[in-house]
Amino acid sequence: MMKKTKLLAVLLMLCLMTGLGAQGQVDSGVQKEVELRWASIWVGNDSKAPAVEALVNEYNAKNAGKIKVVIEPQPDYNAYEQKVRTSLAAGQAPADIFTIKFNPTTATFYQSNLLMDFSKVMSNSWKQTFDAGSLEQSTVDGMLKSLPMETAILPIWYNMDAFAQAGVKALPTTMNEMWAAFDKLKAAGITPASQMTGDTNAWTSMIWFSHFAVSLGGTNVWDKPFTDPAFVEAAKLTKRMITEYSTSDAVGLGAGGSGGHFLAGRTAVFSNGPWYAGRADLAATPFFNSIKIAGLPAAGSTKDFMISRLQANICAASTKDKAKEAAILDFMQYLTSPASIARIAETSGAMFAIKTDYRPVKALQKQFYDVASAAKTTAFDLEAALGAEVTLEFAQQLGALALGRISAEEFCALVDRKIER
Amino acid sequence: MQAVGTHRSRIWGARALFLSPVLLLFFFFFLYPFVFTIATSFTSWRGIGLMKFNGVANYQKLLGDPTFRKALGNNVIWALSQGFIQVPLACLVAMILVRKPKGWRMLRTVYYLPNVISTVALAMVWVAIYNVEGPLNAILSSLFGMEKRNWLGNPDTALFAVIFQTVIYIGYFMIILLASAMNIPRSLYEAAQIDGASTFQQERHITLPMLRGSLITTMTLAMAYGMRHFESTFLMTGGGPAYATTTMGIDLYLRMDALRYSEASTAGVFLIVMGTLVITLLRKIFGSSDPMSEMAQ
Amino acid sequence: MKQRITGVGLVFNSVKWLLLLSLLAVALLPLFWLLVSSLRTNLELQTNPFGWPEKLQWENYAKALSMASLPRLLLNSVVVASCAVILNSAVTAMGAFILARERFKGRDVLYTLLTAGVLVPVISFMVPYFSFITKTGLYNTLFALILVYTAVNIPVSTFLVTAFMKSIPRELEEASVIDGCGFLKRFTVIILPLSRSGLVTAATFCFIYSWNEFLMAMLLTSSIESRTIQLGIKFFSSQFITDYSSMYAAVIITIIPSIIAYIFLHDKIIGGLTAGGVKG
Repeated sequence: MMKKTKLLAVLLMLCLMTGLGAQGQVDSGVQKEVELRWASIWVGNDSKAPAVEALVNEYNAKNAGKIKVVIEPQPDYNAYEQKVRTSLAAGQAPADIFTIKFNPTTATFYQSNLLMDFSKVMSNSWKQTFDAGSLEQSTVDGMLKSLPMETAILPIWYNMDAFAQAGVKALPTTMNEMWAAFDKLKAAGITPASQMTGDTNAWTSMIWFSHFAVSLGGTNVWDKPFTDPAFVEAAKLTKRMITEYSTSDAVGLGAGGSGGHFLAGRTAVFSNGPWYAGRADLAATPFFNSIKIAGLPAAGSTKDFMISRLQANICAASTKDKAKEAAILDFMQYLTSPASIARIAETSGAMFAIKTDYRPVKALQKQFYDVASAAKTTAFDLEAALGAEVTLEFAQQLGALALGRISAEEFCALVDRKIER
Repeated sequence: MQAVGTHRSRIWGARALFLSPVLLLFFFFFLYPFVFTIATSFTSWRGIGLMKFNGVANYQKLLGDPTFRKALGNNVIWALSQGFIQVPLACLVAMILVRKPKGWRMLRTVYYLPNVISTVALAMVWVAIYNVEGPLNAILSSLFGMEKRNWLGNPDTALFAVIFQTVIYIGYFMIILLASAMNIPRSLYEAAQIDGASTFQQERHITLPMLRGSLITTMTLAMAYGMRHFESTFLMTGGGPAYATTTMGIDLYLRMDALRYSEASTAGVFLIVMGTLVITLLRKIFGSSDPMSEMAQ
Repeated sequence: MKQRITGVGLVFNSVKWLLLLSLLAVALLPLFWLLVSSLRTNLELQTNPFGWPEKLQWENYAKALSMASLPRLLLNSVVVASCAVILNSAVTAMGAFILARERFKGRDVLYTLLTAGVLVPVISFMVPYFSFITKTGLYNTLFALILVYTAVNIPVSTFLVTAFMKSIPRELEEASVIDGCGFLKRFTVIILPLSRSGLVTAATFCFIYSWNEFLMAMLLTSSIESRTIQLGIKFFSSQFITDYSSMYAAVIITIIPSIIAYIFLHDKIIGGLTAGGVKG
């Protein structure tokens, strides 16, 4: 017993010491190697992980002795966001390189001196590889403290097998056709649409609402007060969708449940971004090859647009060390080069704000690229346009709206109060 | 060190030595952060840049915010339900187990198990159980012909539903009560048996009074946990629908999420102050948790 | 204590067993569900949470076991949790001894202050914790986690252990003083052994907390050398997609050590101890 305890104690001490020493072994050798720490979310199960890791390894091999990029893996996105804001609030950059989801809430980070302002250091030729619109969206008061990298469109997904079962052959092109198709689906015993008011953003329904609102109020609808008739009408349409054409558990349902209904074939219409197309369990469904990606029929006068967002913008820590700054810029330029991006896109099917010639071969992912390039204009979704607080209020009150506890006008007034002007 | 005698300064030296580690840790991990929290609650700070003093504006904003007031009310319900339903139930189980019925060791271990399982997995189970097409509705409708309900999606039942699921955690409080019930001298029961007291009388006149101190301890803990409750509700409902299940912990988290750090600090101060009030009130009603008076008999 | 069966006793007995068994079911079913779910596919799990696996998916366990650096993460968790438990127990036993058994001015204020810590939502202290840990150069070390877990558990432990120590009859201690026991001896010979079940209960809570904690581990570490198993589990959850069935397999694998630790701490230490109870 005694011996075992001693052995255990020695083991613990050893482990502790290597753990304690983890920090110390940074720089050695005569020529000083610049080490860049990248707090990366593209690790583990993420579909971008293998390509990103390969790119970093190649970069390190090429720059051996000069620059070394170390990936600090960040699992669990919510906890990662928490780490980024805690670290910035404590007056430190979370790493030399890290990513944020750009929206009005995270735009607050631009007030921090801890972030590098790329607008001053970016060459024109580098700038031109980016989608100009995304670059402009990422600019606040002339500052460009994050570079747009991953983007996404948020289209509507149609299970054409279910539509065929209900006797509907083509996608509805007008709202009236859509209601008629949905009624036929109901008559055939299929719930038309996945909707949800749960989580903190009512994800699926938030996307539908965004489609309605932009069509009714134009691509600049998010600049208007939320009491605008476009929003009231969009709220009425969303309510109708939840109460008449969705599952009985839609109020309070989370994104997992909403997706589950679609995967199980219980609902025929769904909405989500391109990442969902790469899911192994989606590929295992019998209707996988009959999924059509498109917009919603125009509820208003704006047509042929697509809802999109900046999914991941990449940031760097500002530094007075010129060598380090040069190293960061060199790596960022390498990472955002069309060649690198094409490789990440190839293995993940994700979409990017950097222009490449890459087009997916897989059918569903190809549809995303086709829909994105067919759209005449794009507009943000509600969360990307108005930030976390407004979206939270939207999600919470959407439940009350669907249950008939408040009117669409009251709903819009409540959400409007959370918008900062 | 060996001969710590009655010499006053030596006693004080020993006391200080014994207390200093705990006080030092407490200072750095509770007192200092709490002072920081209070300080930031009087500023308008969004986590970036300098803090600007803005008086009691955050306090006014929170008190005027219907969401926060809802969270305050829900917190009181949480604290009361944990203290007055969870703990008595745990006490009952502890009183049964202390008499060592068949398999009591196994039961003691198993009752504690849910405390070990990840909250994420448990939240997923409960969401599925409460679903309109879930097993709870299936049982209720087949047995009692009850109408199928969306338990978590209805603001009238959601709070009840998220509170009810905490019943699986009673093992936590049961462990504390059982540990102290086992410390009750057996001679007391033996004497009572000789006097012809029934099991019920023994529980009423020996176990319960002897457990009083631990009961107050567990009640205080249960209410404190009820006050700062956050994770499982957040995973199950996100505080909704229409803020029906929001708590001060969720409110605080979401304010941090929106980079409203000073408001989150204000919510934190409210939470701690309110919790202290509730617990002080508990002590006023049930006496101090110092059980020495009973033990002295 | 022997059960005496009478007429009324029979009714009580059945009610008692009904309660015990339904609580048993409530406690075991989630674990059982977790086990079943860890052998299903994600599609099965998401479309019907309560079904049986069509085919047992052992590869979920293969995936969980092939988690990068699993042994290292497990070892780190063991180190962090054990050190936190030892440190926390030592520190609180000493502190609680003074708070429970010594009479001095300001004792109650100190006690109230320390135990008010149980009310603190630690999440609101993340910024000061992060500052403290980075300023002391402890960022990305196991010691940072040990320190934080020890400290975070101080209010609960102090609260529990002090209450236990207070319940020890004063006569026992007085007798020892007459026997010539000094300050240190009173602590080690009388109080410490008698409050062992309280200490073990507090230690159990500290262990389970340290074993399951995730947010602080994420905040205060950045490399494999100083990360714990909970971070490993979370690698099944990326920004958009969570591989729940593999994650649950990993959860099953990682709760086994905590159950063993719990049984060891509780059944062996307390079980052996309470056989006799305190002599009255």
